[in-house]
Amino acid sequence: MKTEIVLCGVGGQGLISVGEIIGLAASLFEERLYATMTASYGSETRGTFTKTDVILSDQPIGYPNIDSPDVILCLAQVAYERYKDKFRDDTEVYYDTDMVIPAEGAKGKHFGYAFRTMSIETTGNTQAANTIALGVIIHHRHLLHKEAVMKAFAHRFAGRDQIIAINEKAFGLGLSLE
Amino acid sequence: MKSQKKFIEGNEAVVDGAIAAGARFYAGYPISPSSEIAEGAARELPRYGGIYIQMEDEISSMAALLGASLAGVKSFTATSSPGFSLMQENLGLGIMSEIPAVIFNVQRSGPSTGAATKPAQADIMQARYGAHGDHSIIALSPSSVQDCYDLTITAFNLAEKYRTPVLFLSDEVIGHLRETVTETEPGPDQIFSRIQPDPDISQKDFRPYGYSSDSVVPMPAVGNRKLLMRTTGSTHDEKGEFSPNPQNIDRVTHYLTNKIEKNAEDITITRTYQLDDAEIAFITFGCSVRSTISAVDILRAEGVRAGMLQLVTIWPMPEKEIRAVLAKAGTVVVPEMNLGQLAGEIRKFNDYGCRILQANRTDGVLITPQQIINTLED
Repeated sequence: MKTEIVLCGVGGQGLISVGEIIGLAASLFEERLYATMTASYGSETRGTFTKTDVILSDQPIGYPNIDSPDVILCLAQVAYERYKDKFRDDTEVYYDTDMVIPAEGAKGKHFGYAFRTMSIETTGNTQAANTIALGVIIHHRHLLHKEAVMKAFAHRFAGRDQIIAINEKAFGLGLSLE
Repeated sequence: MKSQKKFIEGNEAVVDGAIAAGARFYAGYPISPSSEIAEGAARELPRYGGIYIQMEDEISSMAALLGASLAGVKSFTATSSPGFSLMQENLGLGIMSEIPAVIFNVQRSGPSTGAATKPAQADIMQARYGAHGDHSIIALSPSSVQDCYDLTITAFNLAEKYRTPVLFLSDEVIGHLRETVTETEPGPDQIFSRIQPDPDISQKDFRPYGYSSDSVVPMPAVGNRKLLMRTTGSTHDEKGEFSPNPQNIDRVTHYLTNKIEKNAEDITITRTYQLDDAEIAFITFGCSVRSTISAVDILRAEGVRAGMLQLVTIWPMPEKEIRAVLAKAGTVVVPEMNLGQLAGEIRKFNDYGCRILQANRTDGVLITPQQIINTLED
């Protein structure tokens, strides 16, 4: 079983961080699950298009890049536009309703949430939108056990209790959204 | 044996592997896409009592590396293609003086500054022939983050065993790929450290270079207070003394080549994937392996008998394994991110009338499984 996940938006939205959390949770805290992650690498990062490809599989992974995703998170219009023609009928498209207007007639099952607004309401800033979105994706798709993700936060942000707490709260909020 | 699972980049795994192999000295000049190796070495080496030095350029980095190794410390540096060009002169010194060291080249698109952040696999021939003069070289090529850890340990072992600089030809894709890796600490029997001379040997009988020998000879640290260890890039005799007579020049040339070529069986590492009954065989290395494995999976699902030979050791070229594939498969395809450097080497061995096709990509984007498959339809 293989799942190809694209996390895209603009630089500074914490998409690489979400990819790392997924990869850590799969590699360290799940039984026999392989993960790969490739990220945009170049001189453009902050404020311009960026994406992270994450693949989860119960078999070793060959080609690590993603052409047509099974799951995609779009946190910016520019990112949505880049990928909309790659959606299949069964692609799950998660997007931020504050940031993205979906294309009419686009393929894929669309799930829109006000991630950015919810982040501000919950934590006082926009930085947790990525983690709320991760919670929503895990709630819908069951890619990982929520305990594995919680352990990944604790591992990734070891010694920074406040950041762990914010992530757990944002992730919990995402998990609770229908 | 201590084992730890991680989710890290290839470049980070290289640093972990070097420390596990016992390396304690790094000299380098950071350059994309290899800089994470310098960062990791700067962060980690002091914690193990090691030393990190940032040098003014790659020429001096290579010089510092050889100096530290002569003093008895396992040493490494990392660079990317343009920096690798600058290292060629002192790489030659390391080969001639038989100094163990490991040089990581995280290849990027060239020539010259090229596309600094984009991958390529175009330094294969430079790795073999970049340093002037007849010699042989050992070069390994990783295709996963796991390789970046495990093969780094192998690279240090080979450098120590054969008293020679060893090249580690990674690329931007593998260097920056994050994936699941299990880092197992090697046991004492899995680490090779250079052989030391007999403690009772006198200076008169001391021969630090083995031109009359069939095997690599012991290498004491410079400054060991007992034996004077001479080192020079000029052609020297067994004692290390300048000796440019025709007979000596000839035997040094043969010795430096033979100590690697005649041990090819010990040095070469290859892997196969679905190769046993393959009518279409791919021969590849490094990041292209990842795309090729997926191409084989797609072809097999369509009923095509495809398989792969992976060259983990690039130099010396695994001739025996390549010949076995050429003799058996009807078609061989060589995927690589250059214009055909490996394909040219494989053609040299094609005494079997095998059809050899190239799948090349040079636009700085990882070659795709579909592009590899499309080669068969041309």
